[in-house]
Amino acid sequence: MAPASGARALIARALRRLGPPLLALATLGVDGRAPRIGETLESAPTREVSGTTCVGANDLARLLRATKFWHPEVRKLILRAGPHRIQLTAEDPFVVVDDGTVALPAPVMPVGGELQVPVALADLLPRDSTLARLVFDPRRRVLVVAPPSGVLGSARVVVQEGRTRLVFEADRPEEVVVVSRARDHFRVRFGGFFSGSLPDALPAAALVQRIRPIGAAAGSAFEMAVSRQATGFRVVRDTRARRVVLEFTREPSSEFTAFAPEGPPGPRDLRVVVLDPGHGGRDAGVTAGGLVEKDLTLALARQLESEIGRRLRVRVVLTRTEDRDVPVEARAEIANRARADLVVSLHFDGFPNAAAGGATAYVPPATYSSAGFTGGAGSLTVLAWREAATRHAVESRALGEAILSSLELRGDGPILLRELLPYPLLGVDAPGLLLECATLTARADRERVGGRAGMAELAETIADGIQAYQRNE
Amino acid sequence: MRRVWIGLLVVAVLASVWYGVTRRSPAPPAPGGARGDSAGTGLKAVRLFFASPDGDSLVSETREILEQSNLHERVAALVAELDRGPRGGGVAALPAGTAVLHAYLDEGGGLTLDLSRAFEQGFRGGAMTEYAAVASLVRTLGANLPEVKRVLLVCGGAPLATLGGHVPLDQPFDVSEWL
Ligand SMILES: [Zn+2]
Repeated sequence: MAPASGARALIARALRRLGPPLLALATLGVDGRAPRIGETLESAPTREVSGTTCVGANDLARLLRATKFWHPEVRKLILRAGPHRIQLTAEDPFVVVDDGTVALPAPVMPVGGELQVPVALADLLPRDSTLARLVFDPRRRVLVVAPPSGVLGSARVVVQEGRTRLVFEADRPEEVVVVSRARDHFRVRFGGFFSGSLPDALPAAALVQRIRPIGAAAGSAFEMAVSRQATGFRVVRDTRARRVVLEFTREPSSEFTAFAPEGPPGPRDLRVVVLDPGHGGRDAGVTAGGLVEKDLTLALARQLESEIGRRLRVRVVLTRTEDRDVPVEARAEIANRARADLVVSLHFDGFPNAAAGGATAYVPPATYSSAGFTGGAGSLTVLAWREAATRHAVESRALGEAILSSLELRGDGPILLRELLPYPLLGVDAPGLLLECATLTARADRERVGGRAGMAELAETIADGIQAYQRNE
Repeated sequence: MRRVWIGLLVVAVLASVWYGVTRRSPAPPAPGGARGDSAGTGLKAVRLFFASPDGDSLVSETREILEQSNLHERVAALVAELDRGPRGGGVAALPAGTAVLHAYLDEGGGLTLDLSRAFEQGFRGGAMTEYAAVASLVRTLGANLPEVKRVLLVCGGAPLATLGGHVPLDQPFDVSEWL
């Protein structure tokens, strides 16, 4: 295909480091199905009592799934949860936990007929499977029951010698996933509930300029604005020290992964969006568990058409509106004739092994060129008709990152981005991608997209991604 | 002078004893039941690539197969092993029954691989399966046949545009991009 130029060899090396033609890979938590957005953790409000953050004893008992025994004569409240016994005494900072005594920073205070317990107790309780683990969330000021995926603590920022490290204490360091590699929207999702706090301001010399929490269906996700001076990043998962280090470097290094290529900043001009419902007619695509790919792609295209139409002032063109065969050349012609600013070829995946699931985007490679079309001097590369989409590789990649990021955070992962000119984009002269929205051979994916609600949600999620791509903030 | 002769005699005796011992001791059985020294064919370790269980990458497996004399035989043997499927934790990536009809290597390292109809007709699945099939073939051929630089897949003697509508097969795959 291509003679290796310097840049190309560099990229090839980077790709190799990431495995076979595979760029971004994300997996969901080990607990299987991720909870949907809006499914919140069990929590209780806290209040300030004489300057100490406290939780009511009734709420505390509820979260610990404990039975309460109140002994008014000695003003003691005993909570029993499984094999554990917690004894609180009014106006006393000492708490008897099982066979030991722990000291709270302030006494347990009776307020309005209920004992108020300093939330610091949460950190002093035994950690085992018989007792719910409680964590104080300083941002929402609630005490929550930590999920099985664990807890993510505060981030520490270390700036030195052209490198910036963000160090997170994490119960499950192995679960960290880089969701988007764009410098402006560098997104990372961690396993576990974020109970820490983020630095108010980052040092001026830091390569990370901003960090903010963003919504994720599972775990905790953050979006960072990374300085244009940074050339690469890496993620160190230290399972022994239970720590995740996100490291950014100014100096190019083979040990670091490059950021996604960037186009010019500012909103993108989108006027025509072409949706290509994959397969059709005699070509049914994947069939699994009663679902047929060609039908799903058409149903999704229609949903997405109205979703995009509602949000953006664009013309949406479908390459097919009924169940029929449309050759790849005809699909490209429809897109090119409509002067598409964006082409999304919609598909659903299938694999022999049911363990495979999630979404994959195939985008035209940024470094693509065909050996047969390289000019004599080796400097001039003429793109063949079939490879027109590779002219828009950077934008296509940005679109891929935006849509996959949206899917991942919604719980539709694992996500994978592959740089390969996909068959449905042959001859398409516009940014575009082939999107495998879900894997029909995976039961969880099937259950998610099988119903009408699932399809509407999928359309919303993809539209979120397209909108993020358009805004290019 | 006498000492030298005795020395040479000792060496000669030891050498003949060693020779006799090595001649008489049976050749160790070659793994897989094949005799390493029979009919001039040796066993060769090959690296085969199958899909990973979650479909996002490949897993490799080393296997010993009879060494083949020419390129066609070598390519056919590799594809046959892929078709036989993984013995370890991988997932078979080729449509069942895929076999090599012809293999032609041009001077520039371009391999045209003509696969049996089963390759096209036996294909079921989505882009993940299709990608795995191509990757498994290209990586296995690239890893075992250093002379192969590019692989063009054709089927039943005719060009094949695509397997399932996701990966174009009209152009050769550059082996270096899949390693
Ligand atoms: Zn498809």
